[in-house]
Amino acid sequence: MNGRTQIQPRPAAGQDDALAGLREVLRVTRPGADVELIRRAYDVAASWHQGQTRRSGDPYITHPLAVATILAELGADDQMLCAAMLHDTIEDTPYTLAALSGQFGAEVAALVVGTIALDQVKGGRGRNLSQVLAAVRSADTRVLAIKVADRLHNMRTVEFTPPAKQLRKSRESLDIFAPVASQLSMDTIVAELETLAYATMKRNRHARSVSGRLLIAVTALLPVATRTRWCEEWLGELHTLAARRDRASFAVHTMLGIPRLAYTVRNPARGRRRAG
Amino acid sequence: MKYAVKMTGPVQQVLRAMLEDAAVPRYGLQISKQADLEPGTLYPVMARLEGVGWVESSWENADLSIKDGRPRRRYYQLTKDGAEQARLALAEISGRREKRRSSLSAAQPGPLGASL
Repeated sequence: MNGRTQIQPRPAAGQDDALAGLREVLRVTRPGADVELIRRAYDVAASWHQGQTRRSGDPYITHPLAVATILAELGADDQMLCAAMLHDTIEDTPYTLAALSGQFGAEVAALVVGTIALDQVKGGRGRNLSQVLAAVRSADTRVLAIKVADRLHNMRTVEFTPPAKQLRKSRESLDIFAPVASQLSMDTIVAELETLAYATMKRNRHARSVSGRLLIAVTALLPVATRTRWCEEWLGELHTLAARRDRASFAVHTMLGIPRLAYTVRNPARGRRRAG
Repeated sequence: MKYAVKMTGPVQQVLRAMLEDAAVPRYGLQISKQADLEPGTLYPVMARLEGVGWVESSWENADLSIKDGRPRRRYYQLTKDGAEQARLALAEISGRREKRRSSLSAAQPGPLGASL
């Protein structure tokens, strides 16, 4: 939550309670909230996401919980908060829409389906910005609010994703999510999204330079699982080099070592047998 | 003695540089400068050393990099075992080199016979 929550959560009474922060927010913004229902949605989501982690290493459930908390700060209703808790279960776990609908009702299920449908519009190949915006305009405002909160938390934790993805998420935040949030009068969220997006783009500006693009391109020669790590590591090094000439030299020399690096990461224990 | 890593010249340079202060984590560019190696030589060496457990690497704290407005750095550090093995290996190499030098400079086949 990065301490951005304006209402400071008090320590939970007795043992530590994952929902203490959310409950504290609700106490102020919506005293009549059905905390039991929301707790149930949390428990179901937590059990299905069990074992999954965010790129930051945190348990996955911290994400839907944070999204629900952002919405609670805006006074969102019980159905929206449940949908926020459950928004990734259908796509990322074996939990089914029928089960969700049975446990939380058709309204929550429809909200979750709405967020998935929007993902598909945005993720579809060959879609351009105006098509996406058209789909967004026709979407339910409650679904849009969930997506905006989802994006805000993803931007708050964007530093754990690869540089190229950070740039893409930032661009989308500015082009799609900030305007949508503005339309929904979520003004503090607009401001935070823009601040995060501009800072992220500035931090990763070398990913768009010639040297950065070259390095990103040649990591294709490395095993998939290791690409992100080297890519991010090298863009960090590029950032440290002040002169463009040094960055170009770094990129070229790093590139020359890639075949050997690829061999090494594929055969980590075979150092002694390799000739040369 | 056989070590987990083939002690090539670049490997020795990296290990010497890192052993100067084994407790200090360093990022690639720093090691590259201290060991006087181009990045194209350095990173495969680091991957090898990490692969055999002599070195470990981790991302720096994200909050720190955000505050400085740059991507996270990957920091390398010798493991306890790695530092030990590296010291032994480097000592053995310089011992061998020393022996070769003295046997070359000695006119008589002294040292070998004497030690027996």
